Amino acid sequence: MSTSKRTSDFAVGLSVISITALLIAGTLWLKQADLGGRTRHLTARARDVGGVALGNPVVIRGVRAGRVESIALGDNDWVVLKLALDRTVDIPRDPVVLLAAASLFGEWQATVMSRDGVPADRVLRAALDEARAGSDTVAGAVLPDIAQLTAVAGRISGDVAKVAERVEIAFDDAAARELRESIRNFAQLSGDLARTVNVQSKNLDKISANVQTGLATINDAAARLSTFSSRVDSATRRGELQMIVNNSQTAAREMVTAAQQLRELTARLDRTEANLTQAVARADSIFAKANSRSGTLGLMLNDPALYQQSDSLVRELRALVSDVKKHPKRYINMRMF
Amino acid sequence: MTRYVHDALTAVGRVTRTAFEPVGRGTRFVLSVLHAIRDTRSWMPELSTHARILGVESLPIGIFIALFTGIVLALLASYSVGDIVPPYFVGTLVQKTVTLELAPVLTGLALAGRVGANIAAELGTMRVTEQIDALETLTFDPMSHLVVPRVLASALMFPIVVGMAMLVGMLSGWLASLMLLDISTPQFLKGVRIFFTSFDVRYGLVKSASFGAAVALIGCRAGLTTMGGAQGVGRSATRAVVISAVMILVLDAFWAVTWLTNRTLK
Repeated sequence: MSTSKRTSDFAVGLSVISITALLIAGTLWLKQADLGGRTRHLTARARDVGGVALGNPVVIRGVRAGRVESIALGDNDWVVLKLALDRTVDIPRDPVVLLAAASLFGEWQATVMSRDGVPADRVLRAALDEARAGSDTVAGAVLPDIAQLTAVAGRISGDVAKVAERVEIAFDDAAARELRESIRNFAQLSGDLARTVNVQSKNLDKISANVQTGLATINDAAARLSTFSSRVDSATRRGELQMIVNNSQTAAREMVTAAQQLRELTARLDRTEANLTQAVARADSIFAKANSRSGTLGLMLNDPALYQQSDSLVRELRALVSDVKKHPKRYINMRMF
Repeated sequence: MTRYVHDALTAVGRVTRTAFEPVGRGTRFVLSVLHAIRDTRSWMPELSTHARILGVESLPIGIFIALFTGIVLALLASYSVGDIVPPYFVGTLVQKTVTLELAPVLTGLALAGRVGANIAAELGTMRVTEQIDALETLTFDPMSHLVVPRVLASALMFPIVVGMAMLVGMLSGWLASLMLLDISTPQFLKGVRIFFTSFDVRYGLVKSASFGAAVALIGCRAGLTTMGGAQGVGRSATRAVVISAVMILVLDAFWAVTWLTNRTLK
């Protein structure tokens, strides 16, 4: 083999091998191939993966921790994702995988987070629960992407446009005039209200001053009540209050009895008064008759001669009685058989 | 009347034959090359020599082209979409365009001028000086001795040169982003990795292999059909370069339709 041929062989061989090696190494490096066993794998399943593609980043707490290694259709309408994570990264406790667009330019990412940190979205949580049920794989779900959000925004803007159209139809010249009138009336009303508020605010100031005075009085009373309560409380501790209560009960019972007696007395007095009234009325008639010299008593009372005769009669009777007592035999003769 | 119809039909036939005759001749040429591959004892000793001439000695030009292509791509990407997309998309654009298109096509066009003209001129000179006739007289098959090693060497070394161009292109794009665009290495790398697949590299290399084979075949065909002395050699070389450039673009479209159709958004 000639020198030039050997040189040619060497040059070609070197070029081919070195450039091929460089290409392979570069491709593996850009693909982030796991050559030293520095990755571990996490398998997740979801009903839909949205726009996630092979090689998309896997993020834990905002830091890139791996990439999506494979996406495949599974059984029962599931999609299985295999995530390659850096072995040195700690996976959150009770992990779930959320798939969402990382930017507006079609770039998606898979976020691994704890189940507790999942947003409070009912649909999302239901999807995660469904993915977790009856499976050893990590649950995954898709967050609404910009397309869905824009679709919702589109619907909202459509509704707003309809409402605006209807408002435009309803709000014609007449409505505008009425609105102006309403605004004018409202301005006037607000002026009146302001004046009223101004006046009433002064009254409120006075009332508040009175309330403050009243509150001060109440505070004093409360202080006194507190003092009284403390005394009552100390009295309670010595049983005095109980004694007072008992005495009060006894006094109340006696008062009730006294009241009853008083009522009876009052009733009797009423009857007595009635009788007295009758007696007085009779006496009055008797006195009237007596004063009118009618009848025996009237004659007796108003006739002095009768009094004198009666007086002398009474003297004589007294003398007779004493004589009888002195000399009974003179007047009484009694025989037995 | 009959004569006019006859003449018209004759003209149509002549045009059709004229149009398809080169296709037929070319197809027969390719079939004879494929047939000559079986004679390994004839072309194997010459393979490394042609691989060095056509491939190793073409590395500098491939590197040179890729170096400036990468710089221009990075600046172009930043200028075009710099305010709309995040900065790391510069890396994505550089990687995608270099590996999928610019490295194979630009390198192929440059090598079409170098390799195609070289082959056409060499074989054309051999034809006009009757060296090929002498080979045939000595029962050496010109196909297996002259054409097959060149075609195989070109088909083998074009991917090597293009692969080197891909590496240099991305490297120069990275350097330009770092120094001229203030895009950090992690950002550039993120953009390169985020949409990178090994298919990009495979696509570019397979395409470049087809370019290499086509350039060599066209150059050999042009050289072997040279007539008219030195002028004929010049014409052959020029024709080889032009047809090679056109064929590179046709093949580029062919591979894009064949391989990229199912991978695009519809």
